[in-house]
Amino acid sequence: MSVFSRLGERRAGFLAHRAGVAGAVVLAVAALVSLLAPLFVPADALDVTRVTADAWQPPGAGHWLGTDHTGRSVALLMVQGTGTSLFVGLTAAVLSVGIGTLVGVVSGHFGGLLAGALLRVTDFFLVLPALVLAIALSTVLPRGLGTIILAIGLTSWPSTARMVRAQTLTIEARPFVERARALGGGHAHVIGRHVLPSVVPLVLVNATLAVASAIVAESTLAFLGLGDPTRISWGAMLHQAQLHGAVPQRAWWFLLPPGLAIVVVVLAFTLVGRALEAVVTPKR
Amino acid sequence: MLKVAIVQQIDSLNPFLAVFQSSTEIGRLMYDYLTAYTAADQSVTEGIANRWEPSPDKLTWTFTVPDGKKWSDGQPITAHDVAFTYDLMLTDEVARTANGSFVTNFESVTAPDDRTVVIRTKTPQVTMLALDVPIVPRHVWEKAGSIKDYANDRMPVVGSGPFVLTEHVPGQFIKLKANKNYWRGAPKYDELHFVYFQNSDAAVQALGKGEVDLVNRMAPAQFDSLEGKAGVTRNKAQGRRFTELMINPGAQTRTGVPIGDGAPQLKDVAVRRAIAQAIDLDALVQRVNLGYAVKGAGLVPPVFGKWHWQPGEAERRFDPAAANAALDAAGHPRGADGTRFGLRLIGRAGRAYDEQASEYLKRSMSDIGIALDVRLVSDNQLNEATTAATYDLAFSGWSTNIDPDFVLGLHTCAQRPGADGKGGTTDTYFCDEIYDRLYAQQLSEFDEAKRVEIVKQMQARFYDQVPAVVLAYENALEGYRSDHFARFTTQPAQGGVIMAQNGMWGYYGAEPAERTAQAQGSRWTGLAIGGVLIGGLVLVVVWMARRRGATAGERE
Repeated sequence: MSVFSRLGERRAGFLAHRAGVAGAVVLAVAALVSLLAPLFVPADALDVTRVTADAWQPPGAGHWLGTDHTGRSVALLMVQGTGTSLFVGLTAAVLSVGIGTLVGVVSGHFGGLLAGALLRVTDFFLVLPALVLAIALSTVLPRGLGTIILAIGLTSWPSTARMVRAQTLTIEARPFVERARALGGGHAHVIGRHVLPSVVPLVLVNATLAVASAIVAESTLAFLGLGDPTRISWGAMLHQAQLHGAVPQRAWWFLLPPGLAIVVVVLAFTLVGRALEAVVTPKR
Repeated sequence: MLKVAIVQQIDSLNPFLAVFQSSTEIGRLMYDYLTAYTAADQSVTEGIANRWEPSPDKLTWTFTVPDGKKWSDGQPITAHDVAFTYDLMLTDEVARTANGSFVTNFESVTAPDDRTVVIRTKTPQVTMLALDVPIVPRHVWEKAGSIKDYANDRMPVVGSGPFVLTEHVPGQFIKLKANKNYWRGAPKYDELHFVYFQNSDAAVQALGKGEVDLVNRMAPAQFDSLEGKAGVTRNKAQGRRFTELMINPGAQTRTGVPIGDGAPQLKDVAVRRAIAQAIDLDALVQRVNLGYAVKGAGLVPPVFGKWHWQPGEAERRFDPAAANAALDAAGHPRGADGTRFGLRLIGRAGRAYDEQASEYLKRSMSDIGIALDVRLVSDNQLNEATTAATYDLAFSGWSTNIDPDFVLGLHTCAQRPGADGKGGTTDTYFCDEIYDRLYAQQLSEFDEAKRVEIVKQMQARFYDQVPAVVLAYENALEGYRSDHFARFTTQPAQGGVIMAQNGMWGYYGAEPAERTAQAQGSRWTGLAIGGVLIGGLVLVVVWMARRRGATAGERE
């Protein structure tokens, strides 16, 4: 079976999952919004020293979603925040899945002392309370986007590592791998030609789901005030709403939109991830 | 019963150790000082002593403690109590922790009889009637032993103020009872409770619902939200605080050894002036303080009338173009990307002012080609950075006293840290010969008009050299239940504060109102707070659930 026909079959399988398709559409829209943000948002519209609108304007003709504590349009903040939230979600997921895959494949393939050591490290990170570790990391390291990505990536890789290791072990137990070894295939050959191709679909699924949790994690950290103070993200908007008194002001338009946006995007990633999972999981 | 909301913890009930504002506030209720400041205009009035007389050479001061004043346990207050308190501070370094600066210039303190205290100073000292030191009862503190370990929590705590401390549960409440022996007369109500709140949002909600009677230090948005609320009266008072942006002028120790890693460009006063000129103070007051502040200038806030200084002709008007030109002239041309150099701005995370103002500053600085790297950090990290001088720009602020000596003294060369990096409480590492000479002059100038003039010259010099830009004098925003308490004494009488006074008048002068029906709290706001909390919780839970889900999936 060629790789391409397999892909085609999988695409058809994915399209059969309506929820997954709906999630993919939402994600496509979100990606489009974040890419086109510079077109929507005039250069000075989010510059606190240039805005002219009053603070805490309720939604109306001039501002679809009202204004925040500095008079910036909440709708434009939402658009601007999409990019940050998606970017952090994606990079943190890639980092976490990358570490997880590396550790998983290496420990599964080589075994022995190395695997034992790697697994103990994995176990260690698995039992650490991730939120607490992420908070500690982002307190110690300088504030910024990189720190947030690092904090999320470093705390969420162990489950991927476990899963990839298990898959690696089952692949390596198959006869064709044994044959490849007998014919003189080295480590690089076995990992590169046999293990990785079989692991990749699972890793992709895992990455999709990891993005969802990374976006939630980013919002959590930003809400707690540990994010990059000068960058707009949905979590940071919630943080500012809470800090600058959106509640006593009864400014629901500053609280609800970022919260709902997080829910929708995370849901979309989860739907897509689940649909992909159903498609790629080997039938037994 | 008066119930007051407080957010800040108590660091110590021992008046020799207490430095937090919350603790000194309680201390003022428990202990009288040697002299006091009137509520009406903050002039000096009777405290423990009712008469005072300097010698002609201004080196010896004689205070008289009148007959008839009593401690809360009935023992008479005598001159020996006063002498004991100051002597303790002179002999025991630990006892100088909180208020040591007031006695550093003391030669000796004696009490020749029950009524007379004689204080000799090394050099003439103008602040002899502004000694903000709680006087403690000798018959209790003689047996205290080590000051460092004495918690001063044997209830009821014997004191001389209008209230007696009777109960303290850390993190929950502090209870005081009216002192029936108080020499000015007992307060008009029996009990004063301070109730802890996690944050000021919660305190403001409690005020709205009538659970507490008095709240201060409200954020502008919170203050606005109470507008028109039945049963609540708001008090927009002139504050004693200023907020500043420190500019590291090239920090050095007392001996002139450079410390820290401040940007070298800032050593040039022309650069510092350009930075100050590029900051739109009016916009900051309007947008960040929501108008609840006065634009900054000198080191003394306008509430202290005569000492306050306005630049007048010398004012640096907001002018980015002129600032750009000044930076060009100072030898910092724009690079290919339009920036001249980068600076770090450090502030406290979670403080609304820092979070919002840093955004304004970032934009203002980019207009003059300075790339600002904003770092909002925890309290401790901020403290570390400012004491180690590892900052370029930093947010700071000080509460000032009636006598400007303290806040002016923060900027003298001698306040810089010693060779080991410790000691000294310099604010900005400022060290200027002219400023220091004026400081010494005002300290021994007994003609008040002349002293005011010198103090203003000092502020002008500070403004000109810009080791810090005074951004704003914040209003103190307070609110009280006018259906529970009809009147509070403010200090000063016009536009003054109820809490955080230079005295205890706000609590002492409170007059209970006829109790009417409890006001209904707004259900909506309660729901909204709950909503935010639940939202935050959901974020946390969802994240954890996602992690858990991932492990479950892999078990399959």
